Amino acid sequence: MSQKMEHQPVSLRERAHQIFTTAKSVAGKAEAEIILVSRVDEYLRFGNNELAQSQYSTSRNLSVRVASEKKQGRVTTGTLDNASIEKTVEKAISQARNSPEDPDYLPMPGPQKYRTVDRYSEKTVEAPAELKAGYIGSAIDQAKKNHLLASGVLGTSVEHVMMLNTSGLEASYRGSGGYFSLTMDADNGNQTGFALSTFGDIGELDPNKVSQIALERAKLNKSQADIAPGKFDIVVDPYAWSEMLLFFAVSASTGYSPDLGMRQYKEGRSYLSGRLGEKILGDNISIDDDVYHPNQAGPPFDGEGCQKSKVSLVENGVFRNVVSSRISQHRYGAAATGHELPLPNPLGELPTNLVIRGRGATKTPEELIGELDKGLLITRFWYVRETEPKTKIVTGMTRDGTFLVENGEIKRPVKNLRFNQSLLELFSKVDAVSEPVRNFSEFQQFRILQPGILARDFNFTSVSPF
Amino acid sequence: MISTKDLGEELAKISLDLAKRDNATYAELRLVNTRSEAVTVVNENPASEEAGTIGVGIRVLYNNLGWGFADTDELEHESIRETTKKALSLAKGASKLGIKVTRASEPVHVDKWETPVKKDPFRVPTETKYEYLQDTTKRMKENDVVARRGQMTFDYVEKYFANSEGSKIFQTLSYAGVSAIVAAKGPTGVQRRSIQQNTGGGYELVDEMDLPGQALEITKDVLALTRAPTINEGKSDIILSGDQVALQVHESCGHPIELDRVLGYEANFAGRSFLQPDQLGRLQYGSEHVNIVMDATLDHGNGLGTFGYDDEGVKAQRKYAVKNGKFVGYLMSRETAPRVGETRSNGCMRAEYYKLPIIRMTNVSLEPGTWDYDEMIEDTRDGYLMVTNYGWSIDQKRYNFQFNTEKGYRIKNGSIGEMVRGPTYAGITPEFWNSCDAIANKKSWVLWGTPNCGKGQPGQTMITGHGASPSRFRNIRVFGAS
Repeated sequence: MSQKMEHQPVSLRERAHQIFTTAKSVAGKAEAEIILVSRVDEYLRFGNNELAQSQYSTSRNLSVRVASEKKQGRVTTGTLDNASIEKTVEKAISQARNSPEDPDYLPMPGPQKYRTVDRYSEKTVEAPAELKAGYIGSAIDQAKKNHLLASGVLGTSVEHVMMLNTSGLEASYRGSGGYFSLTMDADNGNQTGFALSTFGDIGELDPNKVSQIALERAKLNKSQADIAPGKFDIVVDPYAWSEMLLFFAVSASTGYSPDLGMRQYKEGRSYLSGRLGEKILGDNISIDDDVYHPNQAGPPFDGEGCQKSKVSLVENGVFRNVVSSRISQHRYGAAATGHELPLPNPLGELPTNLVIRGRGATKTPEELIGELDKGLLITRFWYVRETEPKTKIVTGMTRDGTFLVENGEIKRPVKNLRFNQSLLELFSKVDAVSEPVRNFSEFQQFRILQPGILARDFNFTSVSPF
Repeated sequence: MISTKDLGEELAKISLDLAKRDNATYAELRLVNTRSEAVTVVNENPASEEAGTIGVGIRVLYNNLGWGFADTDELEHESIRETTKKALSLAKGASKLGIKVTRASEPVHVDKWETPVKKDPFRVPTETKYEYLQDTTKRMKENDVVARRGQMTFDYVEKYFANSEGSKIFQTLSYAGVSAIVAAKGPTGVQRRSIQQNTGGGYELVDEMDLPGQALEITKDVLALTRAPTINEGKSDIILSGDQVALQVHESCGHPIELDRVLGYEANFAGRSFLQPDQLGRLQYGSEHVNIVMDATLDHGNGLGTFGYDDEGVKAQRKYAVKNGKFVGYLMSRETAPRVGETRSNGCMRAEYYKLPIIRMTNVSLEPGTWDYDEMIEDTRDGYLMVTNYGWSIDQKRYNFQFNTEKGYRIKNGSIGEMVRGPTYAGITPEFWNSCDAIANKKSWVLWGTPNCGKGQPGQTMITGHGASPSRFRNIRVFGAS
């Protein structure tokens, strides 16, 4: 089956306007905002060379914000009949009435102009389950031929978003995307290889390439040699990062709350508070928040419907800007950049579309390995968590293939290692980068374009028994 | 308005009849109706949100070879028929790449079950909740404090389950959570102290936790931490607070006993496990003091893993995972139980209605020991007390772990001494649990809650319970977080 939303009797836009008319009439003189999200997801999940868990999911979600006299409330529902919508708005009115005044409350923004983003792929939307099952079947065949077990998931998602408010704002977005994540292993994971590919258009997916990478790594990653922990030069595959780079923009010190926003910066909550203008990364590293990058995903507007701007957060290693919002503009006079989360939001702004890039020409991941005299190739990081916020020390493991490289060639696999490493230091010691790729992590909604890197002195602190 | 139970019966009949007509080997339907509320204060800023969802998840087994799952939040009869057909279609497709499924039998249950709630949180005015949280965060206001956060969350779930074997189960489940976080800056950077508890039940948890009463103490702590020394790297005896032991149990016992990951079905993401079936009844997982149960029954406590029936209709049970240190049991499903020679699942399949049920922890708890907590401290000549988790990480087979905690104290000659910041411990799971020589008794035992356990693809979040009391571990690798 495909994920086309043909079964809907009216378009999402029409439905959103119908709902908004009801919401306005119930809200009366209060300000009101609605966000209507419709999703269709299809995931074919496999393990042990079996197509074990196939899932097709449809959902519609209505979120209503009502505000009056600087008080606001938000209520969300998945039930969209008229009576339920009326009840949802009434609850939001009640929430607002019973809430304290929000000192940062601002009237809802009026009509906005948006740059167009084209993120809807008919090919992805129309892709039948049989096509995806065929890709998986081919990976399973490859695994079987090599006495390995294939596990993973091939998933696609389609999302439509409509946002309306009583100040006349109307914003809409539709996008599609997916990913193919594959492990081939044997001997209870003592021999294992991993590959991942993310896509906006399923036509970009080369399933055979994914299978080949997982297979080659699994064949190589057998009988791992012992290794002593210590500092190593490393090459990180661009798909290896897992949730690691998320910690540039999230801080455990304040309860896994968003970072790099103006409010957090000014209030001293950010790990970089007071450090604007300071050199924090290497000369050759820049980080932008850029929803308009052709490989990025998601809507070009923020949680209150304001257009997102591209923001240069780190330029040639120097911390240049944080992201901002109307609230920060009002509080501090800083230009709003469109990075608010849905209101009320006491946590602060969040850059949701990071692009991490190197200066100058990029290299292929293979070229990065070729330039490594002696060190380790990391094909996957795992379970990364912040341990110290000031220099962003994170800990985590390697998995599914860690290889010793000598004179630019992969020599042998080694056992998995634990690291304790400052992200700021790591990105101060990068010698070369590859072209950024779309990230994927089961744990994050952040869309990060992340490069592979060749870097010096990565700090490994212990070794696993396998 | 039709009740969730009546609507569930109506929709189940449509779906299960259709699945039967289309030759499904087995089918089940869950109708889940949820209501939740979150109230938060950060510094001076308030935020509250209420949410409601209702939807149906349908799981079908075709030809004993392939599973299919589909969900919808459109509850008209035609939608239910369409969703059932989608699940059937996926199951038929999967059966071409499947292997024969053998499922443990389960008695047919026609029953209802309800979480005990002393004080309905949805009857407590939002204003009262805000006053409580503002009182909490105001008490944290001090120079150098950069973030003050208080939050409470409540969930009420009505769940109707029916399967093609005749089970019909209606449950109402209630959960509550409260937390407070204070962060301060100083010479050592930003430090954090927090309190968090999540349980089954209602607003009574808010009253019991008394966040305003604890706010001054954690604020004093966090300011002291900004000037506290770190600890030197080395080996030391450590005593972990009960909440830290709970997370240790979750990560290093709860996950590796999930039988789906043991069998390889989670290999691509959550990982595999070092606890293989040939080690059942043989491996000395921990010292003789270590007893870990998997217990979803109310007798164990009103935790996040307490319910009447799991999401494939298996009745809640209590079983040992570790008995006197020996590894003896897994968290199972009906499909996986026979793979380790068990005739019945112990009821661990859990998921939101829009997710396919997978094996999750229920309440996986370390049973209390015999030590009085104060006597355990007095008995420790040289070591560290480590309190409340800050960061946690463990490898994909659940061997190599590292946890850092928010605060610690040096223990010298049986007395608690100087405060230390970010004390961290690390080890290899079986070595660590075999080094456990003292577990505090029932007086110090608390059924803690983990509200955000991640697993599955696409990612699923589950709530799990973990009873634990402070425990001592000998000769552990320790160091400072920075």
